[in-house]
Amino acid sequence: MAEDLVLDTAIRDWVLIPLSVVMVLIGILRYFVSKLMQSSQLPDPKIVKEGQVIVRARNLRAAANFIPPKSFRSRRVYFSNEENGLLFVPKGQAQNAQAQMFSDPNMAMDMMKKNLSMIIPQTLTFAWVNFFFSGFVAAKIPFPLTQRFRSMLQNGIDLSTVDVSYVSSRSWYFLNLFGLRGLFSLILGEENATDDTQRMMQMSGFGFDPSKSLGAEKDGLDIVQHEWALPKFEHRAEAVLKKLIK
Amino acid sequence: MAGHSDSSSSEKKSSEAMNDLPIFSAENMQNNMKVIYYSRTFMSIIGGVIAGILGFTSLMGFVFYFLVMAITSFGLIAKAKFSVHSYFDSWNRIILDGFMGGLMSFVLFWTFAYDIVHIF
Repeated sequence: MAEDLVLDTAIRDWVLIPLSVVMVLIGILRYFVSKLMQSSQLPDPKIVKEGQVIVRARNLRAAANFIPPKSFRSRRVYFSNEENGLLFVPKGQAQNAQAQMFSDPNMAMDMMKKNLSMIIPQTLTFAWVNFFFSGFVAAKIPFPLTQRFRSMLQNGIDLSTVDVSYVSSRSWYFLNLFGLRGLFSLILGEENATDDTQRMMQMSGFGFDPSKSLGAEKDGLDIVQHEWALPKFEHRAEAVLKKLIK
Repeated sequence: MAGHSDSSSSEKKSSEAMNDLPIFSAENMQNNMKVIYYSRTFMSIIGGVIAGILGFTSLMGFVFYFLVMAITSFGLIAKAKFSVHSYFDSWNRIILDGFMGGLMSFVLFWTFAYDIVHIF
């Protein structure tokens, strides 16, 4: 059994490099297309207002220990009272908000577009790879794998004695798919839409925003125990000012 | 490369030296996390190309990957002037974060370089 197969240089020139280049270019193209297709819709003012109230309550909860007890309590009463009115309304409005979120044509279109823009290039590229580049050994991965991976990695190759390290171009495609994510995050700046898991987290946190989180924030605010974290602050300020004046 | 030059200039202090309480500025923390991520990705790509050119196989290659990650961690710690707690909230961040994320990029570029140099 040949330990080191010698593969044709033409494979390197015409399979490995073009495949990688094509995937990089498609990634860049998809990034720009998704930027162009972002429909700028005017956000609903009511939803924005509720979102801002939630942000304020959250800030209060996070920085509670840095303001004196009395002012914290007065702020908390302000929020709990204000949100009391808002808390009872969502019971009847909860269904509304969610249903509105999902049947709202703009939002549904946005999600559809994002989904499609992810799936279509991947599917097309995969079909292209399968059609053109099947039936030969494309690359050798530098580490050995067990025999179980043979069926997964060596799709078009029908010889069973070839070392599992020699893989077909389909597995080169998958290797590129995962490995180029890091490269994209370097080239294209911030997190772009090429990361599956991030997008799914974004989508799942989307539809429940107004109705449930108001109640959650109110509960969270009620729970907070105030511990005055800067008890000697006035003394410190006095000491610092004295030093400055001297 | 954009990511790399960023990491040399913009690690920001994320906590003031208060007496008892560490306070973290969330925005600076996030920026520092990003810097770590970019550094690790970049180093794992370079490390992959080096491993491929030098012809490392299987275990040696992965050992080399851990070596590169350790060098990256050390470089980041040195850049933070060894006072890790004023830039990050725990040791784990600077040492372990993003470890596995760079692995796929490393393997890709390792395979690529290895094939180009040794097989073809």
